[in-house]
Amino acid sequence: MIITFVLVVAAFLALGFSVWLIRGRAVAAEVLENPAEHIRAVDVEAFRNLVDPDEEDFLRKNLAPAEFRRIQRERLHAAVEYVSCAADNAAFLLRLADAGRRSSDAATAEAAQKLVDNAIRLRLYALQAIPRLYLGMVIPGVRISPVRIAERYEQMTRQVVLLGCLQYPIRGISAAL
Amino acid sequence: MHSLLSALFYYLWIAPHILLAVILMLMIRRKLYKQFPVFLLYIAFELFQFIVLLTVFLRAGSLADDRYRGAFALGTAISAALRFGIIYEIFTELFRNYHGLSELGRVLFRWATIVLLLIGVALASTHGNGNEFISIVATLDRTVRFMQCGLLMFLFLFSRYFALSWRNYAFGIALGFGILASSELANTAILSWIGKFSDLGKGSDILDYLGMAVYHACVLIWIFYLLAPERETVLTPKQLPEDELEVWNQELQRLLQQ
Repeated sequence: MIITFVLVVAAFLALGFSVWLIRGRAVAAEVLENPAEHIRAVDVEAFRNLVDPDEEDFLRKNLAPAEFRRIQRERLHAAVEYVSCAADNAAFLLRLADAGRRSSDAATAEAAQKLVDNAIRLRLYALQAIPRLYLGMVIPGVRISPVRIAERYEQMTRQVVLLGCLQYPIRGISAAL
Repeated sequence: MHSLLSALFYYLWIAPHILLAVILMLMIRRKLYKQFPVFLLYIAFELFQFIVLLTVFLRAGSLADDRYRGAFALGTAISAALRFGIIYEIFTELFRNYHGLSELGRVLFRWATIVLLLIGVALASTHGNGNEFISIVATLDRTVRFMQCGLLMFLFLFSRYFALSWRNYAFGIALGFGILASSELANTAILSWIGKFSDLGKGSDILDYLGMAVYHACVLIWIFYLLAPERETVLTPKQLPEDELEVWNQELQRLLQQ
């Protein structure tokens, strides 16, 4: 009886996922119409500072242990926000670049392909970084350096600008990034 | 009331298969067999199975006939195997344009299959009253549905996280199978439970009708996405935004310096 109940609940959840998939396609179409509205600004330098090991060492040396733990937790919490924001932007850019990939212009299609690859990598890094950042909040001594996210994000920004040069409609996005 | 139910039964049995024949023709006309050969094979097999079962039913005059049951069980097994093939086909189609992700996707897909198989076997092993043939078949069926449902959900989650774009045909096939797999999972889970109680025959009849109705809806979904035009969103240049010229210039200089 319990297994039947669990499987029926799982089946309804799966049905919900299917509906979620349809909604995802509708959102993707909306993003392509108004891309700039879906992008949230990310301060890469501030993010670098938050995950900088030297900065962490400095705080560790100059603050009381309890104070350091509190500050570090807040810093990592902010870092999670930055990573989530960057990952969300990457998802939007992925959809945008995906449309660009089908362009008849070879240069645009190539730039869009590079943007797709980078956005996917950034989403992958975010997938690894967020649990590690949370782990760092629980265990303050753990070393976390998701610097690759910042590098990848900067690279992605450049590619957005390049794609923007080739394809006008993504104007306003590079400034937001 | 009985004749109404009987008419509903024949409608839900025959109508989806007529629509499947339409899908088969559409796929051949649009040369989609190159892109989805296993799906085409599945549609063809479903039609073949329908013709065989209908012939056996008309000759025997009963769904409880042993020949009908045997043909149905064999057909269900082949159909289940083909569905695994279709899930893999959707997976390949989805990752075709994402080379950087296809290897990771393949590894995760393999692991998801193994994990789901283990969970499915564990769930099947809890089947207590192993003396009834129908109950055993229902439990096996439940395990297969559970795996298919899990694999499709994995595919949906993965594609949603990485914002992968679905082409219309692949999306329609996946959506149809997602709905079908989840409803069949619930159906077989309840049926394998009902199978332990011989006096709950009416309940299984209602589930049969529901299952057939969902199958009909899924066939309609496949037809809808086959007929819907492919969305081609290509960004087109209009005019150069002056406010960004400065930023673009800086970035291009950085690119040239690399």
